Amino acid sequence: MPLIVRDHTWTQNQNTVYISVPLKGVKTANVHVICTDEYLKVSFPPFLFEVFLFGPINEEKSEAKIGNGVAVFTLQKRRDELWEQLFTNIDKDKQKQIREQAILKVQEKEAEKSKAKAARIQQEKKYALETMMKLENEERDRIQKMKNEECARATAEMDFWRETQRKTAEENENQQKLRGTGILDNQPVCQKTECANATPAVTVLHNTGNTTSGQISKKQKPKDLPAPRSAGCIKINFTPRVFPTALRESRIPEEEEWLKKQAEARRAVDTDLAELDDLKEEERNPDWLKEKGDKLFMAGNYQAAVNAYNLAIKLNRKIPALFSNRAACHLKLRNLHKAIEDSSQALELLTPAVAANAPGRLKAHVRRGTAFCELELYVEGLTDYQAALRIDPHNEALRADTDKIREIIQGTT
Amino acid sequence: MSSTLEKPQIIAHIQKSLNYTVFDSRWIPCSAKFVCMGNFARGTGVMQIYEIQHGELQLVKEAVAACSDVRSEMEALLCRNLEVPECPVYSVKAHKEIINSIDGVGGLGIGDGAPEIVTGSRDGTVKVWDSRQKDTPVVNMEPVEGETKRDCWTVAFGHAFNDQDRCVCAGYDNGDIKLFDLRNMSLRWETNIKNGVCSVEFDRKDINMNKLVATSLEGKFHVFDMRTQHPTKGFASVSEKAHKSTVWQVRHLPQNRDIFMTAGGAGNLHLWKYEYPAQRTKKGADDVDMGVAGSVNLLQNVTLSTQPISSLDWSPDKQGLCVCSSFDQSVRVLIVTKLNTV
Repeated sequence: MPLIVRDHTWTQNQNTVYISVPLKGVKTANVHVICTDEYLKVSFPPFLFEVFLFGPINEEKSEAKIGNGVAVFTLQKRRDELWEQLFTNIDKDKQKQIREQAILKVQEKEAEKSKAKAARIQQEKKYALETMMKLENEERDRIQKMKNEECARATAEMDFWRETQRKTAEENENQQKLRGTGILDNQPVCQKTECANATPAVTVLHNTGNTTSGQISKKQKPKDLPAPRSAGCIKINFTPRVFPTALRESRIPEEEEWLKKQAEARRAVDTDLAELDDLKEEERNPDWLKEKGDKLFMAGNYQAAVNAYNLAIKLNRKIPALFSNRAACHLKLRNLHKAIEDSSQALELLTPAVAANAPGRLKAHVRRGTAFCELELYVEGLTDYQAALRIDPHNEALRADTDKIREIIQGTT
Repeated sequence: MSSTLEKPQIIAHIQKSLNYTVFDSRWIPCSAKFVCMGNFARGTGVMQIYEIQHGELQLVKEAVAACSDVRSEMEALLCRNLEVPECPVYSVKAHKEIINSIDGVGGLGIGDGAPEIVTGSRDGTVKVWDSRQKDTPVVNMEPVEGETKRDCWTVAFGHAFNDQDRCVCAGYDNGDIKLFDLRNMSLRWETNIKNGVCSVEFDRKDINMNKLVATSLEGKFHVFDMRTQHPTKGFASVSEKAHKSTVWQVRHLPQNRDIFMTAGGAGNLHLWKYEYPAQRTKKGADDVDMGVAGSVNLLQNVTLSTQPISSLDWSPDKQGLCVCSSFDQSVRVLIVTKLNTV
């Protein structure tokens, strides 16, 4: 509860009231005044002084001087009259009402003040922005003007240069004509130096002493060119790349992902066969086994190649190349029935028939056809050779073989 | 503000919209004319010659080719006399597939020695032709038997400082760069830059090889210092990532071999300057000389269009004048200022 101050003093005259409130040692900074037309409150913790004025005052015209340990209020009366006493006696409710009104009024005043301040700041900002924009526009215009000047200058230079070029060309033509008709040609002529050196920066017309003959003979002397190079051929290797598209660094992770997935898809599907435990890691990879088989085939070791392919097929039955290659091995080993079976299996795996697997299908057809012919089943062989020809009509060797088979058939029937 | 105005400015001087897709544009030396090559939507190829007159482009000559796609799907190598563009000077069926890139050296005062043309094609081969020898290439760089072919995307001549020496550099779509020495008929150096190589160029064709710039996909380019070759490490290089998209072309300024411009897939051009290091060679671990790469500074960049700028050519006669063409069917003449104070 604040301490109510009662030892204030007051005086008055016709139109003003002077109230003096001792501050009792409280610093001026801590003094807070609320004043309305009917009410005055001075709070300086822990003290409080409030008075409900006898008559209405003009709050705007009133003053408060706070300092020197005392607060002096000069209140302008609205009505010029002498007051009998400083405060009126009003009941508690009225007092409360007046207090609340006072607080509201003060709040409103504050709100107005801050709004006015905000509006003023806004105004100033807008002004600053506008001046900034104006400055920048001027700058931009200036630069544009410089650029335009530069362009115009360059155009003028270009035109001038072109004209001089044209003049030189005309003069040279004239000189050539003169030379052709045998007129004296050691008159000094206005000429530029060789056109190759002509740049507008060095555009000066020289009255050179060069006679026309000197100029033209230089042009007419053919350059001694060396003979064409003797033919050569340089063989090159490329950094290997699986994809036909160009290499991009940002795509490298995606591409590696894709390749890894492809390789994994070709690996062993069921790895719980007992015999597989004996194999090394690389021998479980059908790709590796296929390569091994190919190498053995090239070396002539057909049985070993067959073994490699067998193991690869056990790991992954879906690769047509394995069956096709095994068929080739069987052909060499003269296991003709097995060759026919394997190439049939390969062809089954190579459906649907598209351009991408054409080479594979071609090989399979040819191998099966050969096997049939070796077994003297020429009609079936011919069917296969014809299928192969449909895939690759331009293959001469194939065509020759097909014709031979046809002859044999026609010969026997 | 003054510092930005001291930098070279790239100013678009003239722009012309054409009714065909332009693949390449080149200046005709000693004149204010340039050639544009491309193909119409219906597939026929076209070549046009423009001249700059009074700030505008005037069409001087036009030749329509019977075959489709003058630069791509070209099955014949054509050199044409530009005065009479209808009749080719030299014509040969060069490759089995599209010729992607072509370069020439040795005539017209560029380099000494025999006039030769090199072409790189999608069939993986690089062939060198001499206009005096019909039908067979002078040199053929092809993959060994059984090797899968990679597209050759770009070729460039270099090191042509006397009659015998010459080098060809080829870039492939798998990131390989190969340098062939034509004097020894051998592969001198190869490397892989991990991105398909879109364009290679030596800073000068007619000097002892000094620098090579190779641009690639993914917005990267590499500058190799070609003066010092280490037996295992090859040439030193510095690489820079710019453009955020494919760098389609690089061209060195004819008047200053340390300034070059790169053209990007987002329609922007970057102007660069190469700074040499304090020492261009140093001794490596095994006491063998190896090169030291310098640094590259961006001088200026500008965005001209939304489509890739596929070709760029500096004028050999006027410093700072260049022509560029892009896939938005337009060709632009640009002026780059303040190149002599850079």
